[in-house]
Amino acid sequence: MTTNAAIQSSLWGENSLPLRPASQVMKLERLGAYHQSRLSFMRTLVRRIFRERWKIEPALFNLDHEGYGTVVYEVQAPHGLFSFVLFSDYLSPDERNDRVIATKWDLTMALVEGKVDQEYIEKLRENVPKQEAGRVDARVFVLSRANRSARNFDYVVNQLAAGEQPDVAKIVEVGYLYRTTAVYGSGKLGMADWEKVREKHKDFARPFAGEMFVCLMLRNFSLLQVEHIARHKSPDTFNPMKPEIKRYFGIGNSTGLGMAPYLVNHPLLINQWIEMRELALARVRVLGSINQQVRETISQLIDRSAQHTLETLTEDEWQTNNNKAVIDDMASLKSRIECGFDRWDELLEYSEQHCSLQGQEMLVSCMLEIYPELVDELEDFHSAEEFLDLDPLMPAEQLKDIIENSYDWALAIDFDAEGARETYWYRSEEKMEPRLGSVADIEGKKKQMALGVGYAVRKCYNQLIEYIAQNPEDTTARFMVAHPKLRGIVRRIQGMNRCVYGDIQANLLDREVLPMHLLRAKLAFFGVSKFDPRSRLWVRNTMFQGAPLLEEIGQTFNDDWFMPLAPKQ
Amino acid sequence: MNISMNELKAALRRCFEASDYFVGNYEDAANMVLWLEKHGLNGLSEFKLALPYIGEDKNKPLSNVIYEDSTSATIDAHHRSALNCIAAAVDLAHAKALESGIATVTVHNCHNRIFILKALTDRGRSGISAAAYWQNGSDSVTEHTAAIRSGQRYPSYSEGVTNLKSNENDKQALTIICSSRVDLTSSLQNSKSHFISPKQVESNKEHTVEHGIEIDADVWEEINKIGLGVLVENTERSRRDAGGN
Repeated sequence: MTTNAAIQSSLWGENSLPLRPASQVMKLERLGAYHQSRLSFMRTLVRRIFRERWKIEPALFNLDHEGYGTVVYEVQAPHGLFSFVLFSDYLSPDERNDRVIATKWDLTMALVEGKVDQEYIEKLRENVPKQEAGRVDARVFVLSRANRSARNFDYVVNQLAAGEQPDVAKIVEVGYLYRTTAVYGSGKLGMADWEKVREKHKDFARPFAGEMFVCLMLRNFSLLQVEHIARHKSPDTFNPMKPEIKRYFGIGNSTGLGMAPYLVNHPLLINQWIEMRELALARVRVLGSINQQVRETISQLIDRSAQHTLETLTEDEWQTNNNKAVIDDMASLKSRIECGFDRWDELLEYSEQHCSLQGQEMLVSCMLEIYPELVDELEDFHSAEEFLDLDPLMPAEQLKDIIENSYDWALAIDFDAEGARETYWYRSEEKMEPRLGSVADIEGKKKQMALGVGYAVRKCYNQLIEYIAQNPEDTTARFMVAHPKLRGIVRRIQGMNRCVYGDIQANLLDREVLPMHLLRAKLAFFGVSKFDPRSRLWVRNTMFQGAPLLEEIGQTFNDDWFMPLAPKQ
Repeated sequence: MNISMNELKAALRRCFEASDYFVGNYEDAANMVLWLEKHGLNGLSEFKLALPYIGEDKNKPLSNVIYEDSTSATIDAHHRSALNCIAAAVDLAHAKALESGIATVTVHNCHNRIFILKALTDRGRSGISAAAYWQNGSDSVTEHTAAIRSGQRYPSYSEGVTNLKSNENDKQALTIICSSRVDLTSSLQNSKSHFISPKQVESNKEHTVEHGIEIDADVWEEINKIGLGVLVENTERSRRDAGGN
């Protein structure tokens, strides 16, 4: 079991491990090339549930033959008892909409502390199906909703009712029965704040653990519901789904721009996630022993990753080309591995010279997979205290040095170049949905969100240079009194300078910026797969595909569902 | 109605942003109000008093230093709310304390001074002890003090009604003392004062974390109404900016 002190000494100082540099890691394109890994939040959640043998059982199962009604699961985890409450309602096909602005859904769900009685269920029934239009109290800590997959749901029900299994080829196309369109936590709509969850509910005290759990429960329910409907539809011919096919069903997810500002507004947290992933990689590079079995395992993981990518179908040309490149990269890496290697750095260097960014990052995820003893304990260090404190005593001259060293990427951008400040981010009055506009819209530009970190640094730097020329001995505190408008960016510069990786190195105001990279980076930390961009602003993906089933809790568990493959049929 | 801390913070941020507070200041201001309310010190009541004026600060001059030496400074806040000027004053006291061991900063013409408590508390976390004192009121004068020890998470706070008469020359002043060497505590000599200990402040916080925040519906509506100023009207074109079909 590692400690904070051990982690700090691995990150900083004379005894630190060889981490990849921020100039490499924090490029937006590389962050957008990340894949799931054994440190992803879905993996860590499933590990915890299975190793701790959580007891998850229905306390109320009130569904009609069509699968509509109310279901409550009681979740007995080591530190507490929780209730997962789900409402299944009829939704006409023309009302089904994946956008945040939708107002009705097939399923709505809440994760609640403690047991729920009938009175409380009724209270939830009045509010949870309304989602943003409802209110809940601080017993609730996750709210979500989901829509049926038009392509899969009825098909699977009909197959099972007829005694047939779903065709795996169809699941390869769409690997889920339901798609979540939002998962809310952190105090939204009256729910418990993260501070309460972190301090009171140790079972969910890791970033997004509650949110991921709701998605896992949704996946479990979706499999149960299709069997329930099929059984009632045709009791004589019904056959349950085979476990290996069940495991291949995940949960769909649509993610849009709403996720992008999160990465900019929580820089310390994102840095923490990246530090843990990079520390895991550094541990593997330095400490991971290599023998014949390891060589065979990495070779198998590379094969599996290639096959998984082959089974990732998307209509998006850009993503299709990326996937093709990854498949080629895996073939190339396979050849390199077959030539033999004695150090992981040999493979990494090879990938950096011969593979796409997505291929390089796939190799990293595969390497982490081999060494749970070096990697898994870092999952307990994904939280961060998000204080961007001002250091008032720092000499203004030192602040200037920090900008020149840590934000050289921002100073290198010509913000006067055409298109360099053409994109802006704003919030719509419609559910405050974040949107991306161009300078052509004057009103939107006036109300843009402060996400242009690079540009803010540049403006700060220019004023700091002038100030230092007049007041070379002054502190940051004195500079702040003279330039209060810069307080936000100065605090950020100083705060991020205490991190190994710091800010994302990209001009988010650029005309050509691809928000997709931001979405993908966060989704990869969550652990999703099968990225399927629907435009440059939103992406469909699959969660928990290949994960063990809840009914398998208590059985042997080998934590091997990385890059899941279609089962043989 | 009951809201979460995160909801209050987000709504306040929008409110201050729409009132032309600067980036960095609108987060500070939101955190100052939230901190007081979260710790049972009536942040929303004080904010309600400040609400009619928060849009006016943008037309006032920026705070400036009118006197300074190595251990002290005087800042004129030009009748701004503490919400958008006091953090920089505490920073200056902090920096001077680190250089000199102990320092005093006096701020003139500053309103809503109780909001300094969040900024003072942050000093404790940074290893600095800090205290503040101010008087308030025109008919009956009240006095207030707060302090935090180095390394602590919760301050003490005292308030009391005085027998003092209001002074026309009152400068809406606030005195801040910071020290990197001395642990400061403060309580009023005034026998009609009420003292809230750090332990009580902590206990208030625990209650809020567990149950959320009770807020008058009209205040909540007003905060959100002002915050609408940062939202862009919904149009078909705007919907396309979200990438939807």
